[in-house]
Amino acid sequence: MRRHLSPSLAALMSAATTLVPEAHAQTATGADTESLVSYRFNEYDEDAFAPRPVIGSAERYGVISQQFQLATPVGTDAALSASATHEVMSGSSPWYVVQGPNHQPIQVMSGATIRDHRSAVSASWTQGTGSSGGTTYSASYSAERDYHATAVGIERSIPLSAALTLGVGGSFSHDLIDPVDAQLYDRVQHGQKNTASLFGSLAWIIDRSSVLQTGIQINSEHGFLSDPYKLVTVGDGTIHDLRPGQRDQMAWLVRYRHAFSRPDASLHLDFRYAQDSWGVTSQTLEAAWYQPLPARWQLVPALRYYSQHEARFYAPFFSDPAAHNFFTSDYRLGTFGAFSASLNLRKRLGQWEFSGGFERYHGATDYALGGSDAAVPAVVSYTRAFIGLDYLLK
Amino acid sequence: MNSAHERRLIHRFDFNAMGCPCALQLEADAEVAARAAAAAQAEVDRLDRKYSHYRDDSLVAQIGASADAGESIVVDTETADLLDFSATLHAQSGGRFDITSGALTRLWDLQNVRIPDAAAIERARACCGWDRVEWKRPHLRLGVKGMRLDLGGVVKEYAADRAAQVCRDVGIVHGIVDLGGDLAVVGAHPDGSPWLAGIKSPRATSRAFAQIELHAGGLATSGDYERAVIVDGRRYSHIVDPASGIPVESFSSVSVVADSCLVAGAASTLGMLLGLRAGHDWLLGLGLPFLCIDADGNASGTLAGARDEGRGTRDE
Repeated sequence: MRRHLSPSLAALMSAATTLVPEAHAQTATGADTESLVSYRFNEYDEDAFAPRPVIGSAERYGVISQQFQLATPVGTDAALSASATHEVMSGSSPWYVVQGPNHQPIQVMSGATIRDHRSAVSASWTQGTGSSGGTTYSASYSAERDYHATAVGIERSIPLSAALTLGVGGSFSHDLIDPVDAQLYDRVQHGQKNTASLFGSLAWIIDRSSVLQTGIQINSEHGFLSDPYKLVTVGDGTIHDLRPGQRDQMAWLVRYRHAFSRPDASLHLDFRYAQDSWGVTSQTLEAAWYQPLPARWQLVPALRYYSQHEARFYAPFFSDPAAHNFFTSDYRLGTFGAFSASLNLRKRLGQWEFSGGFERYHGATDYALGGSDAAVPAVVSYTRAFIGLDYLLK
Repeated sequence: MNSAHERRLIHRFDFNAMGCPCALQLEADAEVAARAAAAAQAEVDRLDRKYSHYRDDSLVAQIGASADAGESIVVDTETADLLDFSATLHAQSGGRFDITSGALTRLWDLQNVRIPDAAAIERARACCGWDRVEWKRPHLRLGVKGMRLDLGGVVKEYAADRAAQVCRDVGIVHGIVDLGGDLAVVGAHPDGSPWLAGIKSPRATSRAFAQIELHAGGLATSGDYERAVIVDGRRYSHIVDPASGIPVESFSSVSVVADSCLVAGAASTLGMLLGLRAGHDWLLGLGLPFLCIDADGNASGTLAGARDEGRGTRDE
């Protein structure tokens, strides 16, 4: 029997698994008995700079990505998932900021239009899909002309009682950075970065229609963490973006799911707070409404708000180099906020499932909680759209 | 040998267990069917002896004695699993489903056709409450003297699932177990067609109210037609609400289909306990196929279209 499990039913079936394992071997954990092949086409377009002042190309980044995924049960107690992604990126990216007339910051864009592509493969193996606890092992590899990343991870869920599940996991990533045109632009020729992550979460079935999950994640990055392609204006000249060789981040997550019987729908609320050793703090709040419609349609409108406070060593430009050890004018480390609205649609037709979605993300320094700090001329806004096709093999 | 001889018959075995008429229908060679029936019946008897609250030698009686002595008791794995399952039901029902309501159930065991007085109800209620139980698997301590377990709504359904599994273990592929209206499918008919389960008409128990197709899993029915009495023109069901101490005024019957009879029984009992409106809404949110029949014989629920006789309208 394949169906959407209400939290209440999931709790009952999970509790019944130990008593009548034969009956609930497949469905207790929502494990699928079917294999899935899926394809996604995704387009991401950053808004052009105009009407903001800019030096260089006003056009920004765009990414077209395609993804194939395969997920299949193996035996009665394991599942394998594998995916391959190919992305083509093009456009200009923010390079550094100069002081214009009246001390107004003006963004300078990278001179050449970048055209690059990235290929990635990943695989995961879940052991224990038939029981209420399970372990997932994952590995991935991603390659670009100037960036190679290899990662492994492990995740385990441990039922503590019928209503309480503990999740623990960890991952490790080793990245190699080999900037292009390093000699031409006096960039660092080679860099390495290691990232270790640990997380723990507790999911609690509150009542027959609500689930609450809370978790802590700790990330630690070591190595070359600067952006080799970015410069920073210091006094009258420019130097390379320079960041500390270590960054420790802690994030706290809360997820709440509530199922309604009338209308038959569910609400997903997610909150995340993060802070790191660079002084960056951020809050994310997201609400999504999953609405099943007749004839196996599903509509998912969602709203997201994000607010970030800048790193200690962020400024659009620096006047006194002696006052600082580190420098960045990367907009991603500045103070800004963003609102995002998205709408996703799915339609099941026999063994096929069609999906499509659209997201509009609007960022601005004024949207940040507590108002704006230093100017961030390159705050990004973007539009994203995707279409997908899934096929279920019986 | 012609094909008629090769075709296997449906062997039916009737017996009484857990205070109700039971039947096994097994589509297999006669000898295998007989062996399976004996094993399944033995399994149901084992569970009846272990969990009956009518027997002095049951585990439930021992647990009751431990409550009176103020002691804790170590329970076996199967019982621990049943207690964990019951704890989930308690949480999912906001405390309405409570296996510690044994004292109330006994009080309302209306064999004597008499309504208990308010003082007796209060005394019984004082001996109930899962939240007063110390349950640290495998250690169980019922916190109050006089507290009694009542595993109605769980054990018979579990027994149906176990009996079906025992049949499968013996080699039966096609068959169905019926313990007083709680059904567990061993397997569909050889041609893949489903078993047809008749839901009894609540007021005329000899007639089928609806036919439900079962390929696998289980179907359980909670209702007041099997164990209910009418006193002074009012009908009292055997399902007592621990919050008020008196039997619920709810549907005449609630039937639910699930992957197991155990989960179906839990859902139908909770639907019954929550009452007409809330019970119906809760079942709808749960997502399992269900059929509710009210006191006037009106059917509602996702299986309401399956009824094939009786008056009434769909509540949609």
